[in-house]
Amino acid sequence: MIEEKLSTSKSTVERFIEAANRKKILAQKCVKCSHLMLGTVLFCEKCSGNKFEQVDLEGSGVVVTYTIQAVVPEGFEDAGSYAWVIFQLDNAPLRASGFLPGIKTPTDLPIGTKVRVVGYDPKHGLLLQK
Amino acid sequence: MTTNKVCLLGAGSTKYGKLNESIIEIALNAAKGAIESAGITPKEIQAGYISNVFGVADKQVHMAPVIMSNLGISHVPGLTIESACGSGSVMFREAYANIAAGFYDCVLALGVEKVTHTGTARSTTLFSYCSDFFYEGGSGATFPGLFASMARAYMATHKATEEDLAHVAVKNHENGLMNPKAHVHKKITVDDVLKSPVVASPLKLLDCCPFSDGASGTVLCSEEFAKKSGRPYIEIIGSGRGASPAAVQGREDITTIPSTVAAARQAYKMAGVSPKDIDFAEVHDCFTIAEIIDIEDLGFYPKGKAAHAVRDGATRLNGEIPVNPSGGLKSKGHPIGATGVGQVVEVFEQFTGKAGERTVPNAEVALTHNFGATGASAAVHIFKKVDRK
Repeated sequence: MIEEKLSTSKSTVERFIEAANRKKILAQKCVKCSHLMLGTVLFCEKCSGNKFEQVDLEGSGVVVTYTIQAVVPEGFEDAGSYAWVIFQLDNAPLRASGFLPGIKTPTDLPIGTKVRVVGYDPKHGLLLQK
Repeated sequence: MTTNKVCLLGAGSTKYGKLNESIIEIALNAAKGAIESAGITPKEIQAGYISNVFGVADKQVHMAPVIMSNLGISHVPGLTIESACGSGSVMFREAYANIAAGFYDCVLALGVEKVTHTGTARSTTLFSYCSDFFYEGGSGATFPGLFASMARAYMATHKATEEDLAHVAVKNHENGLMNPKAHVHKKITVDDVLKSPVVASPLKLLDCCPFSDGASGTVLCSEEFAKKSGRPYIEIIGSGRGASPAAVQGREDITTIPSTVAAARQAYKMAGVSPKDIDFAEVHDCFTIAEIIDIEDLGFYPKGKAAHAVRDGATRLNGEIPVNPSGGLKSKGHPIGATGVGQVVEVFEQFTGKAGERTVPNAEVALTHNFGATGASAAVHIFKKVDRK
């Protein structure tokens, strides 16, 4: 029997996770107009340029909005009380979102609170810390 | 571009709720209702458009040919369309466009869903796959959580309160009590909403629509076909589609849904009407905050003003713009593949004298609005009652 091997090319998702484990947010910067975007992009949303430079952005920012999940999806039953947070990066005009454990009530997390990326948890996603 | 007029000739829904039948049986029950209400036989249907999201949960995908076969018209081409919670309206738009373009004279446009048998935890997880999963569901956000984050942003920006949101739920439950096919028949108070268990703060259980099973079907046709039928029909005078960044983090303003704004603008322009001409609207109230955002994005209220309008009763059945006379997703229920079609069924019932005590008096122009996920996709349609006297 011939065992088929998984392709070895590294995906953008894997590179994003590697960057998160270095406490960074991976972004794509358009070579033509310098516009920054997250994720796998083939064309720039501003100028339709098709060449990008990958940049590591500092994973620190402030909370824009969030929720504290009481009813959780499968895989988060062991996560304790946590917030899912959208945050504005300090040094780039981009927002990202992630998992912030240990948040029990809204008084624990006023809008504007500083947060930073501390890694990528295979079970819980982009891991944040206050 | 010149297009043909498109008319709504028939419509029917199953009850929404926890249903025992298979997903195909549920779909067929709605199809039967729609076909009978149009006064046609299945042989007159030239194409079938089906909307569904989680057929796999009831072991059936590629649903359109199965439905066509069970209607005795296995030779009729079918197409199954998925656009998360907006599947129904997005599919309806494709059915509309194919008649407008002259490809068909008569089609069945039907949405169906069956998820309640999977239980709350599984359904919550399945629905989270409709988000931009790597950024949202994968980091622990559920749909109540995503809308809760929008609610928190809205309340902070526009000085609204959890009590303001609760008024949406109270009003929609009040309307749903008059809808025999609604999933949740329960009168509630603002206090009930505020004291219900937190699902994802600041949203509580009674801010959220239920998981529902159900199906809704419509028969769409050309104006010539409608006139020849000799039966009551409704003209679709506006149709619009819009899109937003899939992830909430990608939106400049978290308190508005760009896809709704774009779809509404197109539909109003095509119909030659403005928000003040709309006599009632069926909008996507998956969560109380969604209805507040919707009725601003649809142009009924300026940004930041809808919460007060709802509190003042302006969107009640006897208010200046009745919103969700059917009970909305909140009370009528949210079988996600069917929801956008169910809104059209409500318009049909309202305009053909079948809405009973929830009838909006003297209504002649109505709007339906339905979106997928947190509004990544949306469609708006505008309908005009045709006087056949």
